[in-house]
Amino acid sequence: MARRVRVEVARKGAGLSSLEPIDTTPFRRVASPAFIWLTIVLVWLFSLLPWRVWQPAPDLLLLILAYWCLNEPGRVGMLSAFAFGLLMDVHDGSLLGVHALTYTLAAYGTLALSRRMQRFNSVVQCLHMLPIFVIAKSASRLIEAWLAGEWLGWGWLWSALLMAMLWPLADVLLQMPQRQLEEGDGGSV
Amino acid sequence: MQENGSLKLFKQGPTLEVRLFALAFLALALLIVDARWSTLEPVRQGVSVLLYPFQRIMLAPRDGVERIKGWIDAANEMRIEKESLQRQRIELAQMATHAAQLAAENEQLRRLLNVPETVTQPSVAVEVLFEPTSAFNHHLVFNKGSASGIRPGMPVIDEGGVVGQIVRVTPFTAEAALITDDKLSIPVQILRNGLRLIAFGGGVDGKMEVRYLTAGADIQPEDELVTSGIGGLFPAGLSVARVDSVHRDSATGFAMAVASPLAHPERHRHFLVLQVDVDVARRHEEAHAGEPGGAN
Repeated sequence: MARRVRVEVARKGAGLSSLEPIDTTPFRRVASPAFIWLTIVLVWLFSLLPWRVWQPAPDLLLLILAYWCLNEPGRVGMLSAFAFGLLMDVHDGSLLGVHALTYTLAAYGTLALSRRMQRFNSVVQCLHMLPIFVIAKSASRLIEAWLAGEWLGWGWLWSALLMAMLWPLADVLLQMPQRQLEEGDGGSV
Repeated sequence: MQENGSLKLFKQGPTLEVRLFALAFLALALLIVDARWSTLEPVRQGVSVLLYPFQRIMLAPRDGVERIKGWIDAANEMRIEKESLQRQRIELAQMATHAAQLAAENEQLRRLLNVPETVTQPSVAVEVLFEPTSAFNHHLVFNKGSASGIRPGMPVIDEGGVVGQIVRVTPFTAEAALITDDKLSIPVQILRNGLRLIAFGGGVDGKMEVRYLTAGADIQPEDELVTSGIGGLFPAGLSVARVDSVHRDSATGFAMAVASPLAHPERHRHFLVLQVDVDVARRHEEAHAGEPGGAN
């Protein structure tokens, strides 16, 4: 891991990274798979707690899955999103497939826009994520409403908005280990 | 993007859209099948058994905090409980003498009328594990399941009366629909005059509705509704709700009453699941198709 990063740092021209006029986000370090899965599993466990009873509560699991879909598309994709969605469906006692559909759609949206989004910083990315979250959530809400014969109002729109607003924060927190690695390496070269 | 120094020039595996289509189709199929039939119950049970240890681990801190809180004001709680028990004891002593008289009288009358003896109901005490966050239903998940003899269809009660009905069971957990859930209906009768009705959940939040009454039906605010025992799932005589208001519509000739449940599932953590014979109730229901029969 460290060796690979060093090679990349050398390729980029280590000491000059501070002078680069362009945004450095496309040259992100590779996150370790252990870190990716640890964060996902921790957020999933946190989602088992009863705080999500409040309807506008952000779906942190969806947020983190979408985040890793964007930044590590080789590790986290639609299949993982689907699987975690199914786990949430069973936990919530909702119809099987509600969360699975939302998570899959959000993962697809993120992957489809990833080329574009990787050029921007996290604040602009969150503007891209808002429609993705809204569309992903509304699809499953509509189908749920159709099957249940009842519309539950618009509280979930707040949830999508909160998730988009939390995106930059998630970016800062989840990139921390990679940044530390980078700075440590930059100093040693 | 770059792994082991080599660039991936071609995408491997199916394209993004193909995978999206497959997974979205699968999710939709699951949704529709799960909404219409119960064929997916084994899948749900399997996943739920896998989930159970994680749920317990995550809820362990909360349970721990509650236990510590319990220890801290144990003395205070005991004093309050003792006072209320003392009060209850005095009240019950009066009622007990009265009840003994009534029981003797009832037994005599039953013998006269050749009515079979009522049997006492076996039951399991359960504790709430968590409240699922689905916005479409009012459910509670309990910490015991089919391993403790709980089956779908069994009624759940607390000291106030009927709380709900078990709708889904896994080996270690059971999910109950509250009586305020719009998928639940209970055969009831008015305690005052014995009028038989069906109470439905849903409508206004946290309330029950008694629908399909004729405009002249003898139902008033403050009437207490108890289970009628029709349908065989709910034993007769359990308190269900108290009528808040009655709306009589002279145009249609029908009336509707709104009632507040007497049980308070939000205040307690311990409940009793009555182990009624669900199969007998189902056969009874099938034999009398068309008669009101508990939950659908």
